[in-house]
Amino acid sequence: MKRHALDDLDADIRDHIERETADNIDRGMTPDDARAAALRAFGSIALTKENARAVWIPVWFDQLIQDARYGLRMIRRAPAFSAVVMLTLALGIGLTTAVFGVVNAVLVRPLSYPNAERLVWIATSEEGSNEELVLSPDLIAWRDQAQSLDRIAGFSIGGERIDVGEEVVQARIAAWTDGFWDIAGARPELGTVPWPGEEGIVLSHAFFERWFRGDPGVVGRAVPLNGRPTTVTGVMPRGFRVQLPPPPAWSGVQSGEVDIYRQSIVQAPGPPGQATAIQLFEVIGRLKLGVSIARAREELDTIRANTAKAFGPQSQRRRLKIVPFTDKIVGGARRSLLVLLAAVALVLVIACVNVANLLMARGSTRQREVAIRTAIGAGRGRMLRQLLVESLMLAAIGGAAGVLAARFTLAGLVRVLPEAVPRLVETTIDARVLVFATVISVLTAVVCGLAPAFAMRRVSVHDVLKDGARAASASSGSLRARKALVAAQLALSVVLLVGAGLLMRSFWRITENPAGFAPERVLTMRMQFSGPRYRDNANRAAYLDELLQRARNAPGVQAAGVSSNADGRMLLDIEGSPDVPRELRPRALVSVVSDGYAEAIGMRIVKGRWIRDDEPLPVYVMNEAAARKYFAGQDPVGKRFRLPWVDNQSFATVVGVVADLRYSNLDARSEPELFTDYRHARPFGLTITMRVAGEPDKAAPAIRARLAGVDRTQPIFDVKPLDVVLADSIAPRRFNLLLLGAFAGSALVLALVGIYGVIAYSVVQRTHEIGIRMALGADRRKVVRMIVWQAITIAAAGIGAGVAAAFALMRTIASLLYDVAPTDPLTFAAVVGALAVTTLAASSAPAIRAALVDPIIALRCE
Amino acid sequence: MSTKESRERIELLQGTLDLLILKTLLAGAAHGHAIAKAIEQSSDDVLQVEQGSLYPALHRLIKRGLIDFDHGTSENNRRAKYYRLTPRGRKQLAVETSKWDTLARAIARVLRPA
Repeated sequence: MKRHALDDLDADIRDHIERETADNIDRGMTPDDARAAALRAFGSIALTKENARAVWIPVWFDQLIQDARYGLRMIRRAPAFSAVVMLTLALGIGLTTAVFGVVNAVLVRPLSYPNAERLVWIATSEEGSNEELVLSPDLIAWRDQAQSLDRIAGFSIGGERIDVGEEVVQARIAAWTDGFWDIAGARPELGTVPWPGEEGIVLSHAFFERWFRGDPGVVGRAVPLNGRPTTVTGVMPRGFRVQLPPPPAWSGVQSGEVDIYRQSIVQAPGPPGQATAIQLFEVIGRLKLGVSIARAREELDTIRANTAKAFGPQSQRRRLKIVPFTDKIVGGARRSLLVLLAAVALVLVIACVNVANLLMARGSTRQREVAIRTAIGAGRGRMLRQLLVESLMLAAIGGAAGVLAARFTLAGLVRVLPEAVPRLVETTIDARVLVFATVISVLTAVVCGLAPAFAMRRVSVHDVLKDGARAASASSGSLRARKALVAAQLALSVVLLVGAGLLMRSFWRITENPAGFAPERVLTMRMQFSGPRYRDNANRAAYLDELLQRARNAPGVQAAGVSSNADGRMLLDIEGSPDVPRELRPRALVSVVSDGYAEAIGMRIVKGRWIRDDEPLPVYVMNEAAARKYFAGQDPVGKRFRLPWVDNQSFATVVGVVADLRYSNLDARSEPELFTDYRHARPFGLTITMRVAGEPDKAAPAIRARLAGVDRTQPIFDVKPLDVVLADSIAPRRFNLLLLGAFAGSALVLALVGIYGVIAYSVVQRTHEIGIRMALGADRRKVVRMIVWQAITIAAAGIGAGVAAAFALMRTIASLLYDVAPTDPLTFAAVVGALAVTTLAASSAPAIRAALVDPIIALRCE
Repeated sequence: MSTKESRERIELLQGTLDLLILKTLLAGAAHGHAIAKAIEQSSDDVLQVEQGSLYPALHRLIKRGLIDFDHGTSENNRRAKYYRLTPRGRKQLAVETSKWDTLARAIARVLRPA
């Protein structure tokens, strides 16, 4: 094989010089003179080699390789330094990438529906109510008449029970009207969708595998759904997931993956004036190409006005709402994600400042090297590129580690809090996230790499080489810059810590339990009546009697009760109160409960008594919020009122008042609530609440089996200790707190490292000065004070600026807080205190080292 | 290089070194040192080649395909690269030489009219 001309270049040159030397000796020179003359005649060997290489390899590339090789050597020569830099970058880039990964999945990536940008959420709601639903007559009118929509589908999410053979399972069902399959743009993998107007279900792939062991024979079979045989017409492909808004809090439905898609048939309204069963739907529509939301709103409103005329006042009172479907799905998560993104950007800036600081510190120890390289002909541009290549290499390694860390962080987050943020489960490190990580790595490298270059810009080669090591003192300007950077770092940390502190305080406020509540000792299970047998209220009551009996007698159970968990706000009609317009009528949440519930959940009776098992007539208990609002200054016990909407019941008496208690949704405000007993109401579904002696988790399986035995067709599900239910209800807050807390913690550690670095470095620089001071009689305490004072001045400036910034910025996160002012003085004081302590801790080690300086050694060192 | 030397010797014009190398190799293959010597001697030591600059020029010519090299063994049994003219190099030499002649004549006419 032919070798390249560049191979053996060294040998060629050596050969050339030897020949020339030999010629010179032949001409009578001494060997030494001959060699010197030969070298002189040849010129610069290095330049020759470089020029010869330049013929074949572009210069910039060649130099880049050189720079990289040199950079690698520098990294290897200072492994501890490089590790700190790379870890810092990995932390900053990793956290930022992780948050961007979530933002990308939730806010950036389009929904997986075809033409997702044209999908809209359509709802109507009554004034003052947050129940957003569409009544079936409106849905039908829109479906048949609307020109601005190209498809419309109603759906409702709920739990239904399906008999899979060996067991009756509570499944999460999405009931859809027929427009759904076009909007979803999906078709079953096995079988088909139900015919329009025909009842039928399509299974999710996961449900199909779990309960039917993936047996395709299930398609076409009729399976009892809520006791009625329903045909399984198909199975969706693996990985098909329908993206829906989180279920509203009042629905009592928890978010999660859909198990079964059921065809839902909208019943046409009867002729005007005749009673019609109204179905309630959540609705997705798809706009026709080029139609604006405003135009669609106008048309739908017009259509609705006509239907309402025919249909009656109930529909007329409702207001139309139509928003992009993405907005509905993402909801309030957008704001908190943007806050988290801003917060993580601060962490990245702090990390950058730290790295810049470290590189600058090292830059000053490298001045001599830089001076020598400049002296032998390296230009300023070349030096700059060298520094940039070095920081790029550090950032590349740090960034790669960061992306890896982000991947595991995200996997962990999704596992721990899958429902905290809508679409969180879709989070992946995709190409966009990788590009993002690359861009911020490069940016970080450029910013950090330029800092030491900036610090070295005024270095005089002459001074450095003449003065040797002492020349470091010439860079007092660079030390000033580094102090400013550390102060900035502290300021940013203050902002992050205050933010995290406020979230933490909110969290505490929310999870503060009143005495005796003890949710960790309370076990909850849910059930939902289904099947024709339970249309009869007597059968419901009989079932519940037996259920309560069994629960109370179960081993370890101290108290047990049932409750329907406030399933709707209802109008109240207080006896003797003047007739007022509907909007002004009192409203309250109404829960259907039993004897024992207050005791089981730990509700405190303020006045009167709780509901008993054997109330001959309906009675009410209300919470303090209701008593305050509707019976201010009076004793509510003995007052009478009724719920005009439920049925035309007669007035019933208030027998007691209980303390406000947030027992299902932790961050909801206490609002007026009424309790009534199950025998005089029609509960759909109930939560069984039991106070147990030991660990609820251990007792649960036996109790569940016992309760399921009452009627095998009624599944008992969602078995959870109350503390878990409560924790789940504030999952978004836990998500925010977890991330912001991690950011603030990282910021604190980075700031600690930053301040330590600068103070330690200044001590090294001032060793000589300290030696002189001590030789002149300064005692060690004074030296310590001098060093610590230096740290305090930096910290005071940084913390001061940070407090001012936080004060201005915290307004933006007010909506994420609960019962805490964005300017909460306690939080600010705690943060300032924590940072002050950190500063003292970080500066104490270098200060002690300064105090231990031996003046004789320090002075002799020169 | 002293001032005296620079008065007596002429530094090479940009690009002329390539031409001189091609001309030298017309006589046959040679190694680097021999080429340098040949240029100095055939110009009666008037043309001074900084010997190091020979190598980048050789690489330039190899890259343009005007010369090629082989490994050979010299008189005293040393391995060295022997450079030789390629057919393209031969043609290029003819072209460059006539260009050079034209240029030299033109300059001579300008400097010494009539």
